[in-house]
Amino acid sequence: MLGFKPGRRARASRRRLNPIRTLVLAALAVALAASSGGFAYFLPAVKTAYDAINNPIVIPSPSELPTLFSPEPSPSPTPQQQGAFTVLLLGSDDDSKFQSEHVLTQSMILVRVIPSTKQVIMVSIPRDLWVPLSVGGYYKIDGAYSYGGAGAAIATVQNNFHVHVNYYVWIGLLGLVRVINAIGGIDVVTSNPVLDDYYPLDVFTSSPYGYARIAVMAGPQHLDGVQALQYVRSRHNDLQSDFGRSRRQQQVLIAIRQKAKELSPADIPALAQAIGGEIKTNISISQVASLLPLASSFDNPDAITQIILASPYTRGGAPNGSLYGNWGLILPLVHQYFP
Amino acid sequence: MISRVVLGVCLAVLMVITGVSTYLYIGTRQSKLAAAPIKPTAAQPTPRAFQLPGKLFVVQNGAIYSLSYGRYRQLTPEAGWMQPSLMPNGNLLAIRRAGFSSDIWILNQFGRPLAQLTNNQAPRRSYDTGDNHWAFYPRSSADGGTVFFSYDQPKGGYEVDLSVWSMPVNGGVARGTDWSYSEGYTGGDFQPIPVPGGIIYTKYLRDFDGSIHSQIWFQGRPAPNDLYAGHALTTSAEDCREPAPMPGGGWIAMICTYGKQISYLEIAQFSGPAIGPRQIVISDQMVAQPTWAPDGSGIAYLAPAIGDQPFQLWFLPRNAYFHPVPSPSPTPSPIPGGPVTAVSPSPIPSPTPPPVVNPLQMSTSLAFDATSTMAWAP
Repeated sequence: MLGFKPGRRARASRRRLNPIRTLVLAALAVALAASSGGFAYFLPAVKTAYDAINNPIVIPSPSELPTLFSPEPSPSPTPQQQGAFTVLLLGSDDDSKFQSEHVLTQSMILVRVIPSTKQVIMVSIPRDLWVPLSVGGYYKIDGAYSYGGAGAAIATVQNNFHVHVNYYVWIGLLGLVRVINAIGGIDVVTSNPVLDDYYPLDVFTSSPYGYARIAVMAGPQHLDGVQALQYVRSRHNDLQSDFGRSRRQQQVLIAIRQKAKELSPADIPALAQAIGGEIKTNISISQVASLLPLASSFDNPDAITQIILASPYTRGGAPNGSLYGNWGLILPLVHQYFP
Repeated sequence: MISRVVLGVCLAVLMVITGVSTYLYIGTRQSKLAAAPIKPTAAQPTPRAFQLPGKLFVVQNGAIYSLSYGRYRQLTPEAGWMQPSLMPNGNLLAIRRAGFSSDIWILNQFGRPLAQLTNNQAPRRSYDTGDNHWAFYPRSSADGGTVFFSYDQPKGGYEVDLSVWSMPVNGGVARGTDWSYSEGYTGGDFQPIPVPGGIIYTKYLRDFDGSIHSQIWFQGRPAPNDLYAGHALTTSAEDCREPAPMPGGGWIAMICTYGKQISYLEIAQFSGPAIGPRQIVISDQMVAQPTWAPDGSGIAYLAPAIGDQPFQLWFLPRNAYFHPVPSPSPTPSPIPGGPVTAVSPSPIPSPTPPPVVNPLQMSTSLAFDATSTMAWAP
């Protein structure tokens, strides 16, 4: 008999499908597709996070460090400080005048976040502080990153201030501009007009040795990334020079935190894409997502303590125009807030 | 009966639709923080904006706009225009900032440049950025013959601090007068306003701990060599700036920050050399540039709105800060013929508290320049 005899596969395709199995299959397919859509959305953020933390560093605990001073035993965290953590913020002038891996950290800010009491404490470390570096020798503290990267900067801070750093975030000039632009700028109350006839014209230029003239007005205002950088970076017309600049940096940090309250997790990929390799950190992407709601819970501006280590905590006269620390005053002050 | 092939195709389509929909849905959950502000001329006027009297001049992204009858009109291109103020003849004084310098111009009410009063750009052959000059916050005298402004002369080395200057409208800076001696490395003296008996301005001074605060300062005569000429109207702890006297006098509005990242809108009785107790009228917004309505109906100011572009236009009606005086409660009169002492007085009703009047948001999705003054013509 001529004719086509259906094969096993064709027969199977005509077999009646179990409705329950079909429904389960459809549900699985929908779940898988939804997950894939979400994964695709957050992929740029994952990639940026990988780039930012692809050189993980091991943060030594203070007990493993060579002791250069005789520290008071650091107080154990009180029950109210459960969940608290310490971040070392590092900011560098990473324009093309410098090799990208050997930059100074002109801005070093220790931040203690205590979620249970909704308190934030910020201590600006003077960049000119004359200290023993973790990699050996004495130098200004801003050189630690240049000689040994983030690990050396963290270890140097831990050694000298006897605190434990949980996380670090390093950001360059472009990174700060991009972060602030990505969140739509910041609203800040600038304490006084910042005027500078010789502001370094080294970002967004092919000639990094030029100068610009800037004038940031005083009072409540909205700053975009470039304006915010001008505000925190200028120091020629500030009698306090680096200390005045530290005050302004803390103001901008508070304004960024304020703006972060309005961010949603869906903003993370765009934010990550904008930052694109301008930030290095050991905070994972999932931790960033969990920190966003935390930012929105800090409402009271009086719960933010800002500390500048000006005189009498530091004094001049150290080599190369640097500063000696008055550790007898610095350590008790820092240990009031940092374990 | 569905074949497996059909089922497979259906599932594939379902998965594609679900995946794309999920991606797009998450995208819609983004905040609008980084969205670009729209131009005022493209904005739908809010019904409240029709209530504003006269013509209000505001600045967005280097362009001056007028707002009258609920409609915005762009007066200048986006080319560094800012800080408009009114002249007695109805023209505007304004700043045009370009690169490393800024100049004072006179514009008519439609934005047409009539005259350039300063020329602060460095000569072309100069390679020193310090050869340029800044002029900011111009204000006309009551007779329109003199312009007061902040100017960066003298300066030396890295120090750039503005002083208060005046010059004849037809004379230029060469015939100008230096009114104030600013403290070095503070930014200097800003926003001069002629008032009866002299001028007021915002003076930046350094505290003992090195931090810088601002005070509203009165000065009756030019004193280019005396840091403390005149006297302070506000204390250093109040950290006040951006003074705005009420048209016709009697009151002043200003911004006080108390050294923090907050700002309060405060008003006080004001005569020029003297100021009365301060009254806080806005305390829960980052307020900037208070400007009195020419008919006294309220105060316009700039402040961010939650979830919106920064620094929208707000209006605080007059009855929010000038409460009507309650009529005195009637005293109980003794009942005629009755024993006065036997009457227990009925409880006197406590005066009704004045109704809370909230500020009105007059714009959405616009981002006005909060460092630029506003001007309000009748």
